[in-house]
Amino acid sequence: MKNRSENFNYRPFVVPAVVALIMTITIIYFVNNPGGAMGARILTYKGILKMLRQHINLVVIASSLAIMTAVPLGILITRQKFRVLTPIVDSIVNITQTVPSLAVLALSYVFLGIGFKTAVFALWLYALLPILRNTSIGIQSINEDIIDAAKGMGMTPLRILTRIELPLALSIMFAGIRTSIVISVGVATLSTFIGAGGLGDLIVTGLSLMRTHIILAGAILSALLAILLDNVLGSVEARLKSEA
Amino acid sequence: MGKKWLSVLLIVLLALVLVVGCGQTDDGDDGADVKGTVKIGSKEFTEQLILGQIAIQILEDNGYEVEDRTGLGGTTVCREALESGEIDLYWEYTGTAWLVALGHEEALTDSEEAYQKVKEEDLGNGMVWLPYAQFDNTYTLMMNKDQASELGIETISQLGDYINQGNEAIFGTDHEFAIRPDGLPELENVYGFKFTDVEIMDIGITYGALRDGLVPCAMGFATDGRIADFDLINLQDDKKFFPVYNPSVVIRQDTLENMPEIEQLLGDAGPLLDTETMTQMNYLVDIEGEEPEDVARQWLLDNNLLSN
Repeated sequence: MKNRSENFNYRPFVVPAVVALIMTITIIYFVNNPGGAMGARILTYKGILKMLRQHINLVVIASSLAIMTAVPLGILITRQKFRVLTPIVDSIVNITQTVPSLAVLALSYVFLGIGFKTAVFALWLYALLPILRNTSIGIQSINEDIIDAAKGMGMTPLRILTRIELPLALSIMFAGIRTSIVISVGVATLSTFIGAGGLGDLIVTGLSLMRTHIILAGAILSALLAILLDNVLGSVEARLKSEA
Repeated sequence: MGKKWLSVLLIVLLALVLVVGCGQTDDGDDGADVKGTVKIGSKEFTEQLILGQIAIQILEDNGYEVEDRTGLGGTTVCREALESGEIDLYWEYTGTAWLVALGHEEALTDSEEAYQKVKEEDLGNGMVWLPYAQFDNTYTLMMNKDQASELGIETISQLGDYINQGNEAIFGTDHEFAIRPDGLPELENVYGFKFTDVEIMDIGITYGALRDGLVPCAMGFATDGRIADFDLINLQDDKKFFPVYNPSVVIRQDTLENMPEIEQLLGDAGPLLDTETMTQMNYLVDIEGEEPEDVARQWLLDNNLLSN
């Protein structure tokens, strides 16, 4: 009889691998077909990979920071003692996301100057809401009866949190993280305006001189990056759901 | 009670939408005899906005109806809008047109020669170039005045030597300069050095980035008012890499044939603009916070180009 764990499930890797392959082909295509002398100056392997690396760095660092702040914060505002803080925290984080991303970036520049750190700060602000919301909603959506039962069994609040609330809320929390990361890939294209690099460099440079090839290279690569991340995270989310 | 508030809110929102939507075309209906409509565009930076305003106000003052499309976009956006007829005219720089619009590779370094060559060739494209302004709004490589004198750097060649000796230098540039034939890659070629790293950013903030010491060297436009105000210096282009960039009004031939008076009205204005004047006007907008409209108007009044 075949033991299920002996068969390596490669299904979740198929789409990401295909997307990564398409990204590679895209890069090779545009380096060899830059659409003119100006395109050739920016569509080089070195250049494109540098911008791609900058973009990924921006998204990964800002998202990690957002997870590290928004998850604890989200848990905090569901605790009895801090219920009073909920509307305040909610409003603040709400504002950071309803303000248009370009405005958040520009304001960050005004106070913090140009560069990578400023862009990460702006991206971080923008990434908080989905994670915070989903964390608190995920925890609040757990059936009261389960918590009561746990209390009845004599579990401490901490154990309730780690053994019951977090595991049950995990898949909703994760959905928030997934949304946040995918949005960040898009917002990160704006960091080109404040000297933080990224694929936006390609898009805006192409736009400023109407060089379609350059625009497409930047736009296609960022779209593919978003699709790739979304798919990978989706597989993780499905895994979490099935184990709940 | 709740429903009433909701309807009031909806009506207010609807009213807002209508007001904003209908507020787009607000041309003064005061001229009884409107001679024609002219669509005027410009690029997005301060100098272009001022030049655009100069053209707008001269024509309006002379009875033309003008559609203000200034701040349209970058070089190519404006050029393509001109070619497609979306705008009738805008101010373009001879050097830029020669390299970017007309697709040549070598730069022209004499103002008169550049103007004549561009004018002749563009006529074949149905575009007319009116007399050019005296100032050369060339690209410039800038450094912090103090830092440059500390390092003894006054020319681009000296900067190149400094970097080739193994020193680091990051360069702040805007999107166009990063790939134009009169831009960074060719400059590095001609001068024989490469910046350690390049940070692309919006043209509006390269000056501030230099002033705040965030980059040691950055590009800008020579007539920008902030160069003096931020204590920056322009490195001398000792190898004469940059072409000349004299601005003049480029107008569609068919527009000019319909309204031939424009040639003289705007053609007279161009040659009156010199480096000092333009830099001062840029300064008033960028540093003193005045509006391009007002600065343009003041200049026009000072030069008796408006009837009132």
